[in-house]
Amino acid sequence: MAQEFHLKLITERAGGGDPIVRERQLPGPELSIGRAADSGIVLTDLTIDPQHAKMRFSGPGRITLESVSGRPFLVGGRPVQRADIDVASRPQVEFASYRLAFEPGPDGGAVVTVTHAEHESHATPKVFSLQSKVFGRRKMAWVFGSGIFVICLLIPLLFAGLLSQSKIHPDQQWSTGPLSKSHAFLETDCKSCHAKSFVAVRDESCKSCHQASHDPAAQAKVLAKARDGGSPYRPTLIFDHADPKKLSQSAPLPDGFGAKVTTIVQRTLGHPTDRCASCHIEHTKVTPPAKGGDPKAPLADKPKMVVVNDCESCHSKLKTRLGKTELIDTPDWNRHPAFRPLIMTSAEGVKPTFQRMALTGAPQERNGLIFPHRMHLDPLGGVAKQAIGLGAARGYGAALECESCHRPDATGRSFQPIQMEKDCGSCHSLAYARVGSELRLYPHGEVEKTMMIAGGGSMGGSNRVRPGTARPTPLPGTAPPSAVSGSPFRPGGACFDCHTITWTPEGRPSVQAVKLTTSYMPRGAFDHATPEHGGPGQSKAGGYKCADCHKAAVSDRTSDVLVPDIAKCNACHGQPKTKTAAASDGECATCHSFHAPGKATPKPGHPPLETLRWSQITAGKAPG
Amino acid sequence: MTHAGGHTERVKQRTHEGFLRHKHFMFAQIATALCVVAVGVYFFTAASLDEPPSGGSWIGYILGTISAGLIVWLACLGIRKRVITSGHYSLKAWVSAHVYLGLSLTVLATLHTGFQFGWNIHTLAYVLMMLVIVSGALGIWAYATLPQRLHGNRGETTRKQMLESIESLDRQMHDVAQPLDRAGAELARMSIEDTELGGGFWTRLTNGYGNCANRRAAARLRALPPASNPAQAEALTKLEQLMQQKAEVLALARRQMQITAFLEGWLFVHIPATFALLAALTAHIASVFAYW
Repeated sequence: MAQEFHLKLITERAGGGDPIVRERQLPGPELSIGRAADSGIVLTDLTIDPQHAKMRFSGPGRITLESVSGRPFLVGGRPVQRADIDVASRPQVEFASYRLAFEPGPDGGAVVTVTHAEHESHATPKVFSLQSKVFGRRKMAWVFGSGIFVICLLIPLLFAGLLSQSKIHPDQQWSTGPLSKSHAFLETDCKSCHAKSFVAVRDESCKSCHQASHDPAAQAKVLAKARDGGSPYRPTLIFDHADPKKLSQSAPLPDGFGAKVTTIVQRTLGHPTDRCASCHIEHTKVTPPAKGGDPKAPLADKPKMVVVNDCESCHSKLKTRLGKTELIDTPDWNRHPAFRPLIMTSAEGVKPTFQRMALTGAPQERNGLIFPHRMHLDPLGGVAKQAIGLGAARGYGAALECESCHRPDATGRSFQPIQMEKDCGSCHSLAYARVGSELRLYPHGEVEKTMMIAGGGSMGGSNRVRPGTARPTPLPGTAPPSAVSGSPFRPGGACFDCHTITWTPEGRPSVQAVKLTTSYMPRGAFDHATPEHGGPGQSKAGGYKCADCHKAAVSDRTSDVLVPDIAKCNACHGQPKTKTAAASDGECATCHSFHAPGKATPKPGHPPLETLRWSQITAGKAPG
Repeated sequence: MTHAGGHTERVKQRTHEGFLRHKHFMFAQIATALCVVAVGVYFFTAASLDEPPSGGSWIGYILGTISAGLIVWLACLGIRKRVITSGHYSLKAWVSAHVYLGLSLTVLATLHTGFQFGWNIHTLAYVLMMLVIVSGALGIWAYATLPQRLHGNRGETTRKQMLESIESLDRQMHDVAQPLDRAGAELARMSIEDTELGGGFWTRLTNGYGNCANRRAAARLRALPPASNPAQAEALTKLEQLMQQKAEVLALARRQMQITAFLEGWLFVHIPATFALLAALTAHIASVFAYW
C-alpha cells in the first residue's frame, strides 16, 4: 500500500470547550499547503499564500517540505525554506498560526495533525475610557505629591545646614522675594539670618554686623565680621534705642483691630513685633524704580522700612506699661515736655556731676567759673574797649560777639570747647615776664607750678636760672613774683577775676575747679549750622540769631543757664508756613535719632549705599 | 376610522437639578459673598498697611488660613465621594460647594499673595492651585456639555455595538480575502490587525488618526492592479466595501472616544495636581514658619 497522509484537523476554540476535530485521508505521495481552497491542506491565515508550500514522502518514514511561495515556515522554531523531516521523531512544523505535527501512520504513511488556535480577543467598551490608556491618575498623584514634598520641604529642612558650603542651596527656594541690594550677598546663606528653624529672625543676627559700640575693639570686630562675611558695604552701625526688655515692655499694641490681633498673635507665637526685622523688611516686593531712575538698580538698596510703633505711640502713657520711668510722656510735638538739660551741679573731682533739671525751674549751674556774659557783651563797656584796643589783627577790633569766644567745630553743628588761652587769653593775660621778645605765661590750670613761678607760699622762690637763660624781666606795673607772695591768686592777679579762690590755714591758695558743659542736651540734636538756627548762609525770614535764643547779653552770673526752652523751637517747628517763612516740621526724628542717641535722623535718609562701599571708605570718601 | 378615545398619559413632572444649580445656587452665592468681602477688606486695608501687602500681614494670614483650609476641604471630596451617606449633606451639595468654593480660591489666594510672585515654593503652590482650579473648571464645562454631545454622536448605537460591528467587519474581511493573492491578503490583514481603535491621550483628544491602518489599506487596495480572475475581482470589491464600512464605524467610535477623553482628561490633571498642591502647600506653610 502506498504511503499516504492521514490528516487530522483540530481547531481549538477560543471560548474553551472541546476542540473540533475533523479527519480525512489524503491519497498520493505529495500534498500542497496553502490558503487556496483547492490546497491539500487549507490554512486560512491571511499571512499564508494561496500556494504556500508542498510536502511529499522522500523515503520510508521521511517527508520533505518545501516552500513554493518563497515564504519560510518554522521547523523546530527556525525559519526554513525547505526541510527533510523524520516522522518517527514526531517533528512539528509551523505555518503562521497553524501547527502541523507529524507522527508515523499505518503502512509507512504519516498522520499530520493540524492545530489552529482561534485568537479571538474582544474589545470591551472600557476601551472608550482614557483610564485604559493613560498613566494612572493615582500613580501620577503620588509621584508628584511625594516628589514636591521631598524636594521642596524635607531636603531644605533637613540638609540646608549641611549644604551651606556647597553650590546647591536647597532652602533658597523658600525665599519669598529678593533681598535688598545691601543684603544681596546673603541671598544664598539663609542661615545667616534665619539661624534657627521655626524661630523668627532675632536681633542678635542683625546686631552681629550692625551693633555700634563705644569700645573700638568691639566695633572693629563687628565690622570685620561683616567684611569677612562678604558684605561689599560697610554696615550702618546702631546703638540700642533702649534696653531691649524695656523697649518690648513699652511698646503698646498698634491702632486698629486687625493690627492689634496680629500683634497679639505674633507675640504669642514667638514672632514679636519689636525686632529689628519687624521694621526693616526684607524679601518683599521691590518698588520699581521711578521713571528715569537707574535701570541697573532694580532692587531696593536697603531693606524696606516700616514703622511698627511710632515715637508717639510708645512715648505716651509710658508709666502704665513700664511702671517706673523717668521719661516724660511726649504724645505729640505740642506736648513735648520742657527741656531738662544736664546741669552741672559740681565741677569738683575727676568728673563733674550733672543733674537733669527743667528750665522752667530756673536751674543754676555750678561750673566753678566767674564769667558774666553781660559784661563781656556790653558794646559800651570796658571789655568792648579792650577788644577794640586789641585790634582786628588779633581777631578783635570791635565789641565782643558770641563767636569771639564760641568757635564752631568742624561740623558747624556745635562748638569747640572753650580754651582759656585761646578764647580768654588775649585779654586775661597769663604773662608774668618777658624774656627777650617772648612772654613767659603762668601755666593755666596748674596751681602748683604757678605757685612755684610766683614764688609764693612755703615753697619759696628762687632767683636762680639755668646757665645761658636770660633772667626774666618783670612786666611793667607788676611787682617781681617774689615780692608779692602768690600774687596771681590775690585780688588783681591773673587768676582772681575768673576763679573762686580760697586760702588754706597754711596760706596756700585753693582754686575751685572749673569745667564747662560741652553738651547740655545730649539726647537731642540741635544743629547750629542751620541758617535759621544762626548758622552761616541765608536764613529764611523769621530765622534766629544767637541772641534770639540765648539771653547772654542780660546774664550777670555764670550760673545762668542760657539754653532756651522749647518755646523757642516751637516758634518755627510744627508751625504752618502761613505763620512764618521759617516754618519747619515738628517730627521727633528731626532732633532724635532712633538708633543714634544724641543725633538727628539724617534727612532725607541715610547715606546712599554706594558711599558705604569699603573701597569708597578706604579712599576717605566715607559719608560725614 | 379615527382614533377618538385615545388615552391620557400622566407624566410625572420631575426636573433634574444638577450640582451647579443646587439649592438655587446657594454655594455660588456664598462663594461670591466671600470673594466680595475679601476684595473689599483687602483694598480697604492694604492701603493702610505699613508694609507692601503680602501673606505675612494680618489680612494675609486670614486669607491664607481660609485658603489653606478650603484647599484641604476641597481635596477631601476624593474621600467623601467614596463614602455613601444620606441626609442633608448629600454628595451633590458637596460637589456644588466644591465647585463654587474652589472657584472662589482664585480670588482669595490671589489676594493672599499680595500680588507678589517669584521663582519659589510659594508661587509654585499658587501655580499648582490655579492649575487645579483651571482643570476643574474644564471639568465643569465637560460635565455640563459633553454628555449631550456624546449621546448626539452615537445616536442609537451603543458602544458595545460599535465594537461588535468592527469585529464583524474584520471577520468578514478575513473571509472575503481568502481568494486573494499575497498583496490583497496583506492589505486585508493590515486593516484587521494594525488598525488601532483608540491610541494614546493626544491621539484620542485630537481625534488624529491620519495614519489609520484601515484608511491606508483602503487607499492601497484601490491602487492595486486589476485582478487576474473574476473571483479575485469580486473579493477586492467586497473588501473595499468592507473597509469603507469599517472606516465609518471607526470614525463614530473615535469621535466617541474624543468626547470621552475630554470628559475624563481634566481629571488626569486635576487629581495629580491636587496631590502636588497639597505637598507644595505643606512646604509653603512649613517653610514660612521655619524661616519666619
